Amino acid sequence: MDAVEKANAERQRRWTKEAKIGEGTYAVVYRGREVATGRKIAIKKIKVGQFKDGLDMSAIREVKFLRELKHQNVIELLDVFSSKTNLNLVLEFLDTDLELVIKDRSLVFLPADIKAWMAMTFRGLEFCHRNWILHRDLKPNNLLIGADGQLKIADFGLARDFADPGYKMTCQVITRWYRPPELLYGCRYYSTAVDIWSVGCIFAELMLRTPYLPGETDMDQLKTIFRALGTPTEEDWPGHKKLPDYVPIENFPKTPLRDLFTAASSDCLNLLSKCLIYDPRRRISAKDALNHPYFFALPYPSHPSKLPKPAKKDSGGHAALEEVDGNVDFTGSGPGVKANPPNRLKRKLSMEDGGSRSIARRLDFTAKS
Amino acid sequence: MSSRTTASGWLRGTTIRKGGASSSSNSTRHTTPQVQSTSSTIFGGGVKDPSGRTSEYFSMDDQCPVCKSDRYLNPKLRLLVSACYHKMCESCIDRLFTLGPAPCPICNKILRKLAFTPQTFEDLGVEKEVAVRRRIAKDFNKHREDFPDLRSYNDYLEEVEDITFNLINDIDIPETEARIAQYKIENAAVIELNAQRDEQYAQYLKEQEEADRLEREHRASELRRLEQEEQDEKEQSRQAIIDKLETSDKDAIKLVARSRAEALKRASAKTTTPAFQSSSRLLRSRAAQSTVIPDVPHVPLQDDWYAYEDMFTMRSNYDDPISEAVRKDREGIMRAGGYVVEEAWERALRSAVAGLDIPPLQGIRSADPEVLQETNTAVAAVS
Amino acid sequence: MTAAVSTPGASSSTVEKVPLYQGSTQYRHWRFSPEELVHTRVSLNAAAVRVIKDAFEADSLGSSTAVAFLDANEENLLVKLYIGKVSQLCGHFRFPEEVEATAVSYLKRFYLKNTVMDWHPKNVMLTALFLATKTTNHPISLEAYAHHIPKTAPSDVLELEFLVAQSLGFDFAIWHAHKALWGIWLDIQTLPDIRMDELRDAYDVALKHVRESRLTDAELIYTPSQIALTCFSLASPSLASAWVRSKHTPPASPPTPTSPPTPTSPSPIPETDILELIEPIKSMILQYGTMPDVEAVREVDRRLRLCKNPEKIVGSNAYNRKLEAKERKAAEKRARKAALARKAMEEGDPFGDTIGPQDLDDDDDDDDD
Repeated sequence: MDAVEKANAERQRRWTKEAKIGEGTYAVVYRGREVATGRKIAIKKIKVGQFKDGLDMSAIREVKFLRELKHQNVIELLDVFSSKTNLNLVLEFLDTDLELVIKDRSLVFLPADIKAWMAMTFRGLEFCHRNWILHRDLKPNNLLIGADGQLKIADFGLARDFADPGYKMTCQVITRWYRPPELLYGCRYYSTAVDIWSVGCIFAELMLRTPYLPGETDMDQLKTIFRALGTPTEEDWPGHKKLPDYVPIENFPKTPLRDLFTAASSDCLNLLSKCLIYDPRRRISAKDALNHPYFFALPYPSHPSKLPKPAKKDSGGHAALEEVDGNVDFTGSGPGVKANPPNRLKRKLSMEDGGSRSIARRLDFTAKS
Repeated sequence: MSSRTTASGWLRGTTIRKGGASSSSNSTRHTTPQVQSTSSTIFGGGVKDPSGRTSEYFSMDDQCPVCKSDRYLNPKLRLLVSACYHKMCESCIDRLFTLGPAPCPICNKILRKLAFTPQTFEDLGVEKEVAVRRRIAKDFNKHREDFPDLRSYNDYLEEVEDITFNLINDIDIPETEARIAQYKIENAAVIELNAQRDEQYAQYLKEQEEADRLEREHRASELRRLEQEEQDEKEQSRQAIIDKLETSDKDAIKLVARSRAEALKRASAKTTTPAFQSSSRLLRSRAAQSTVIPDVPHVPLQDDWYAYEDMFTMRSNYDDPISEAVRKDREGIMRAGGYVVEEAWERALRSAVAGLDIPPLQGIRSADPEVLQETNTAVAAVS
Repeated sequence: MTAAVSTPGASSSTVEKVPLYQGSTQYRHWRFSPEELVHTRVSLNAAAVRVIKDAFEADSLGSSTAVAFLDANEENLLVKLYIGKVSQLCGHFRFPEEVEATAVSYLKRFYLKNTVMDWHPKNVMLTALFLATKTTNHPISLEAYAHHIPKTAPSDVLELEFLVAQSLGFDFAIWHAHKALWGIWLDIQTLPDIRMDELRDAYDVALKHVRESRLTDAELIYTPSQIALTCFSLASPSLASAWVRSKHTPPASPPTPTSPPTPTSPSPIPETDILELIEPIKSMILQYGTMPDVEAVREVDRRLRLCKNPEKIVGSNAYNRKLEAKERKAAEKRARKAALARKAMEEGDPFGDTIGPQDLDDDDDDDDD
């Protein structure tokens, strides 16, 4: 056997797979253990060799960056090994994610809890930025939470290095609701501020318990942002009218954040507003955010172990599924259920009525009720 | 993941006015959708359900007619519809229209990137019908009350239907457009009036919703206040017992029993909702926890990585051909996009000093003696 | 090859700070002593010769005696030739310097795990470059890539991609000397009385030396900043030493090596000694930083044709034998699985309500051994 294969086989033997906890088009996720210690891990097996351009970019990015990053608020890549044409990422096992926490209506958030989650998010992000890495897909469901309550940034499939001058970057990154206006305007040269905007949206979502800026299309996203924060002027954001995809949008007035976030402290709103500044150069940096008075004011951030978490489900597999792979397609109908059958017709949001025709009738102008 | 249907109230309220203040002549009937501009320039797109959300059509059999990519190749495939009602996928749209308006690859109509809308219905014919009806409803917004009798109202409805039919099926477009224009001129005052009326109604609905929200909030804070009161009361009665025990010569057991009975009576008199109880119990258990594990003051950075900050001093400017083009930024687009050349400089400076003082390794650190042995013989053989 | 770094990601106030470079995979996995490099190459070569001899003998007895196998130096010479080719190709494609430098590092690292008698650098070089375009975020479609290279099909590039990625241990991120050189160029400007024309000339010459250094083992022994400084010193010794003198030893956080100190790894050296440290790098670049003599390499390549590992040559007896063995194994596995599936069917549940450990191999079917 080749030396490479031998070393690989040795690595592979260090981990066991126990149960499949999710399956998607690009990856299968298993729960497993480290043989030597018995510690729980997750194995994300990426199917390679099915792409016409070879190793998939998102797999490459994820491996490239997680191999280098080691921080308490970034998911830890414990090992990588291959099994013939599969790439296996051994990741630390985490119980749940912030989206599930936000959605769990039985949980009550104290202001100190939100402060703790924000501090951990900013710490993880600051470390990425210190290593010249943009995450480019921050959203509650990519912020995983461990058994000890520590929050960890995960899913680096869209991450890239930054700061090299003169190279265009794609603006088609970051899930729409968390995407900053400069990307919606097609900007190809950007920086750490894009991630900060996402964190701002997450911050607001923690207080509202519902997505803050849920636009329906890219165009509608801009409108949704401007409706919430006011349409930017040239003074607010110099030069934005020259961005590639700039389109004028009706003038929405600026409404104070206080109108919506009635219960928040003024420190808190001050930090939130600094994350959501239109001019990316004036938006706060992760490092400055961590030094913002909000974090030092009372109440102190909750100790991670005390942060609210969804009650443990019997299988415990669901959270792990989403936590390691955004691509995973999962029906969520019960433990161990296989992926959906193909050809399933699916509406992203449920429609009240059945067929499309009957809807058209309902919308008929002349219909009387 | 996109199934978060709970739009918050404040948002739902504003979504209704999406078409813009002047065009939001919403019909008052719940069965009629809110009116929206369908002009081919800017359009939020899709058909909204009562919560203000678009329900996007999605099928496992979706295929992009332009690049032929399908859901098996690309599970994130998303098809959008052009102003000329042709479907194509987001990546085709990006590719074709990012640089500005360009012809539709199917019918050559000039299209813009932002004029693509989500598909709501399986049948694009329906999609178009809905759009046409929306547009028509904006101007043909008369109500039954605007007509002297049922017959003339019916005639009006028939005319509207006629126009709609023509637009949907591309029949006599110029003539039909002329009819619409004529109608608009003749009825300008009524249209405006009805638009205002409809908007007022929408406003009223929104206010109602807002009032409901405030009411809910008020209720929640009231419950919190009661909870606090209960807590205080308990504390007081405990204090009272202690005081009494100190001052009175009565039997201690009797005193405690009596105050317990009183507390019980008070509690049963209270009516609290079950939801409130559960959340208050949660809060109580959180409060109990905080005495066990104390919260500590914030420490901004908690890791132990060193980033060479003290190894150099950044200047405000450098002579630097590598980043010259970026810094000139004639269009200002890098500035507006947030690109910061100082970050590039800092990265270069850090890498200039990183590991400068790490001495090279010497000798051999092989963990595997067998390999070492093997290598040694091999080395010996070679030399 | 396992990480020998402590875990600065975990919070602790007492631990000394660890410089970021020492958390990189480059520092942890790809830093060797000159002796180790020789050792590794010689032992790889010896092992390969042994295996190939056996294969020849298995084919026909005594057939290996006449073969003149390559030695480690000859292997290295061939690799060096193809490092030069990477540079030519990058010029052709107009790839940025980062792509070129990354591909070169991959190629060098690959041959610390493999031998040219198994994998010809002509092929590995193409794959390493293609992989580098992806890992540095300058992706190009495989078709376009292969189209511009004579006698190369997309499959030729793709076939080795996984092997290359695996040999690299999936460590894709590289710290480059040319970036460090850029930093020196910038930082020298802060020195007093700098003549910009002199500096500019020095930078141009230094960059040329950085490119030459890619033909040497320097990056496997020294840090990128040391190599950059060496190149600067070759261009202008006075500027280089002035800059080094200006760098005082960081007082608060002495960057000590954090690995469990091995007897062979001496403690950090004072700044003034850095100039001494780079002397051997200087001679390394001057001595080995040139393209090898083409005639000499051609001779090596000619001999390589006779001593290639027959197990890796499609159609040879040895290749077929190995293939058969592999297929036999796979068939056994399929049979085992079919039996399992049959059993599951008989028990009346074709999919299984829960996924027990017995199903785990399901997805590994035809791709794991």
